[in-house]
Amino acid sequence: MFRRARILIVALLCIFADALLAQDFKLFGRDIQVHGFACQGFVYTNDNNWLTTNSSAGSASFTDFGANISVPITDKFRAGAQIYDRNLGQLGQWHPELDWAYASYKFKPWLTIRGGKVKTTLGLYNDTQDLDFLHTFALLPQSIYPIDLRDSTLAHTGGDIYGDIRLLNHLGTLSYTGYAGHRSDGMYSGYPYLATHYGIFVRSMGGLQYGADLRWQTPLKGLLAGISRLNQDIDATGSMMNPRNPANGLVPLRIVAKQEWTNQFYGEYAVGKLRVDSEYRRYFRDYLVPSLPSGNVSDVRGWYVSGAYRIVKKLEVGSYYSRYTITSLFYGLMALPNQTDTSLPANHIYDKVVTARVDLNRFWNVKVEGHFMDGYGVSTYPDGFYPQVNSQGFKPNTNALVVKTSFNF
Amino acid sequence: MKTALKNTTMLLVAAVVMFGSMQALAGKVKIIANSSVKADTISAGELKSVFLEETSSLSDGSHVEPVLARGGPAHEAFVEEYLGKSDAALQVYYRSLVFTGKGSMPKSVGSDAEVVAYVAKTKGAIAYIGSATSAEGVKTLEVK
Repeated sequence: MFRRARILIVALLCIFADALLAQDFKLFGRDIQVHGFACQGFVYTNDNNWLTTNSSAGSASFTDFGANISVPITDKFRAGAQIYDRNLGQLGQWHPELDWAYASYKFKPWLTIRGGKVKTTLGLYNDTQDLDFLHTFALLPQSIYPIDLRDSTLAHTGGDIYGDIRLLNHLGTLSYTGYAGHRSDGMYSGYPYLATHYGIFVRSMGGLQYGADLRWQTPLKGLLAGISRLNQDIDATGSMMNPRNPANGLVPLRIVAKQEWTNQFYGEYAVGKLRVDSEYRRYFRDYLVPSLPSGNVSDVRGWYVSGAYRIVKKLEVGSYYSRYTITSLFYGLMALPNQTDTSLPANHIYDKVVTARVDLNRFWNVKVEGHFMDGYGVSTYPDGFYPQVNSQGFKPNTNALVVKTSFNF
Repeated sequence: MKTALKNTTMLLVAAVVMFGSMQALAGKVKIIANSSVKADTISAGELKSVFLEETSSLSDGSHVEPVLARGGPAHEAFVEEYLGKSDAALQVYYRSLVFTGKGSMPKSVGSDAEVVAYVAKTKGAIAYIGSATSAEGVKTLEVK
């Protein structure tokens, strides 16, 4: 019943998107803009259940929406906020969150500061990964932008300094961002959900993160290259089954990061109706459970190459190849088998994807996408396939159909 | 030697064709502004910065506010020639700004006549129209 009502609401919003365009108004002489979006998806897989959904039976538990308000207080000073909510299988569960809320001051085109809760600049799409209507693909390459782990890189509460520097002699433009702040993970994200499989119940997760991004819009029209670095110092608290004696029930747990960082390299070429982009990300973490003691070192590497072409104004097609591998070493009392051979299906996901996107109007699109995955990459680090919803075990290959529709105003 | 000469000739022909097509595109639009804008000329770089919301003032200190047309030949020509993007890519760009809080959606109006009327009454407004459209009531900026 609830699902039908939800789908009906999304459909009505799509149809009447034009009527929602009255989003600009003046208050105390300031132009205020209100914008929003909503997205409904459907996932079907032939074998393994994916993204915490019951996808092998077909799942429409794939909804998200957001709305923002922004106001330019002066020419240089602006403020705004956005809320976001989602339900994806076991994730999100309709718990709304403050997506971003900040004030920014632009001193010069090459110097702007902003403070509050801000989206983290990392690679091509980290800060826009929730905004389905901006992307050709229904799911961004999961090796770099895992939808179940969006919290891990998405935002920080702190400050950014950024700007664009036009280089002399027509050498293009350099855009830089430097940031520092506190990351706070939601409790309805992939990591806390996966942890329950191991008898670990995370109550809080977060910590300091700081980093930088540098991108160069080259003199060759449409060619962009960039690099990002993110350092994190993340702790988690909660409780766990007593590993020495499970009959004793839960004991307090604290997980401490000894080292955690992400490097990302990327490039994009967009000319006319064609766009080609590629990214590489390496995520490394070394964490410790001091009370046991136990620890884990994970090394996650991913890359993709994608291309998209707009055939006519309303139709765009695209394809990407995404490659994800993980190695994981365990030590101490909670030692699990080490994962070192990335050729095994349990330690990789190679995903071939084809997509068609139809823009019904400026505000409403429909995407149909096929995924052909080799491997399922199961580990203590989440990557789309979860043991809790695959109690029968994993098959080595998964084909998936994803249909999504989204609107924005 | 012969091959080198042939390649050079082909490059020259390509350059002439490209230059010619750029001139043709640029000739399709003229840049207009509200009379409050002091400048009479604007550089292509400044124009791009204004419409990509990187800056809201010109080098002479004039405050400016970009105004877009919703479509049409002048819009297509302006977006491609001066902003280096397709219309679809430009919409993605603005929505990225809006939904990450980095900017606002610029005002957009329907026809060239509506653009002229809006620019005429809005302080700091800067826009583009087809080269054959009357620019009465607004000033025309020369692109350097």
